[in-house]
Amino acid sequence: MRLLIARCTVDYDGRLTAHLPSAVRLIMVKADGCVAIHADGGAYKPLNWMNAPNRLIEHDDHWTVTNPKGEQLTITIEEVLSDLSEEMGVDPGLQKDGVEAHLQELLAANPESIGEGLRLVRREYPTDIGPVDLLCRDADGGAVAVEVKRRGEIDGVEQLTRYLDFLNRDPTLRPVRGVFVAQEIKPQAKVLATDRDIGWVVVDYNELRGIESNELRLF
Amino acid sequence: MKFRCEREAFERALGLAGRAVSGRGGALPVLSGVHLVLEGDTLRLTGSDLDLTISVELTVAGEQDGVAVLPAKLAADIVRAVADGKVEMTVDSEEAHLSAGRSEFSLRVIPADEFPQLPEPSADAVKIDATEFKDALRQVTPAASADDSRPILTGVLMAAEDDGLRLVATDSYRLSVRDLPGSTVLASDQSVLVPSRSLNELARVLGDDDDLTLRLGEHDATFEVGAVRVTTRLIEGDFPNYRGLIPSSQPNKLTVNREALLDAVRRVRLLAQESTPLRLIMKDGVLELVAVTQDVGQAQEAVDASFDGAELTVAFNPEYLLNGIEVTGGEEITLETVDELKPALLRRVGSDDYLYLLMPVRVS
Repeated sequence: MRLLIARCTVDYDGRLTAHLPSAVRLIMVKADGCVAIHADGGAYKPLNWMNAPNRLIEHDDHWTVTNPKGEQLTITIEEVLSDLSEEMGVDPGLQKDGVEAHLQELLAANPESIGEGLRLVRREYPTDIGPVDLLCRDADGGAVAVEVKRRGEIDGVEQLTRYLDFLNRDPTLRPVRGVFVAQEIKPQAKVLATDRDIGWVVVDYNELRGIESNELRLF
Repeated sequence: MKFRCEREAFERALGLAGRAVSGRGGALPVLSGVHLVLEGDTLRLTGSDLDLTISVELTVAGEQDGVAVLPAKLAADIVRAVADGKVEMTVDSEEAHLSAGRSEFSLRVIPADEFPQLPEPSADAVKIDATEFKDALRQVTPAASADDSRPILTGVLMAAEDDGLRLVATDSYRLSVRDLPGSTVLASDQSVLVPSRSLNELARVLGDDDDLTLRLGEHDATFEVGAVRVTTRLIEGDFPNYRGLIPSSQPNKLTVNREALLDAVRRVRLLAQESTPLRLIMKDGVLELVAVTQDVGQAQEAVDASFDGAELTVAFNPEYLLNGIEVTGGEEITLETVDELKPALLRRVGSDDYLYLLMPVRVS
């Protein structure tokens, strides 16, 4: 990771042209080639950025960053205030919430708790946009993509919709139906899931863990 | 649209219709509004979240017919806040103007043509005894589940039973059954599952002397009470087979004064905190109630009772027990039990119209 704080101007030439006038900015060059230019404000969004793969050429007074689409970022450096490079190593990735990860594990071990006749094909089944939590087959052999959340909200349904879009492009899997599983599911998420023909199942984490409640039930 | 009416009546109508309005409009923003239709001197106000629709008719001094959708909460807040007396409302295509006393309000309206076409109530109408039905709702609806993950249990089963109507609700921890003999509302063997939320709204508007009419459609039911119409979507699915849960005979029978037990439970449950149960120790001549919450304290009280059976201790969720005793009614009640893990049956002495079946809580 290289962090350069410099007074600079930035010109982007691609789908449109954009110009950042002279100011002090943070230029972030990541090990994979991503380049992001930040102002001293805002949570995470850079003023301008180029995703990897990129070709970065450093000239004396300016850098050019070019991507395979021909888009180009020209950073004209007027004054370097700080230049720091650090080897950060491989990131272990985002750890899911402990309960959510355990829930996924428990459901993988007991897919019938999601639906009768469901068999696990694979946990973290890869798609082009990230792994879907569980890929299963139902009693009729149909593929079922399962997204597991602790709290089921609209975002989770959207995420599963995207996975289904990609999975249904695979001729060895399609048709793939989706099931949204959570400890609790918001009414809006249920409505959206139902509207998209995605099933939803509320599961009891304690029950899956085999923790017996002291509450007896009539049925 | 232009009309004048009394503030108090308008406030009540807006409040009633507004109870069915969905919080943030959900999928249809127009549903965050209350729909107004003025024809002559009759103003109909309707709120709906598509599952529940409440419609109220109000007699006003109408000047110009029209249709409008007002933001429900804001309109209700304004009408509640203005001075008592006459309220005048004029609505054009974009704004509603309300004046009362020396107050003037203008508020943006929601396009009325976006308001969905709601189902018309069925033409087949049957009369229900409002007093009995309201009493039955008070007894039964609390036992329905509030957990949307099991939609069937959020409903109250209305079923034809012998020569009358039976209402049943259960959340799987307790079961509440009320018979209304002689109330031939449904066809023989017919049953419908009505969301308890809708019935609770109906109970709010139901007075003892009101005429109550039920119109049953294929997918919905409409209850009419005077100028108020409550339409609810019916829940589809099979209600659990509750009959098998009701024990035919139980060896232990406790008979106790209901008010005395109610007061004792209310006192002792103060020390049944953090989901700890309330223990009932049943002995000959006395019922002891005990609650112990670790690190907080304990409470106990004895209540005179007659007990027929072997000495027994059964623990219950205090809220469920209290609710059962409250709704069972009568001067004396019986609590019939098998053992500490089997369901207990609460009944009113001298009446078979109502029963409350309650599952105990397992204690070490």
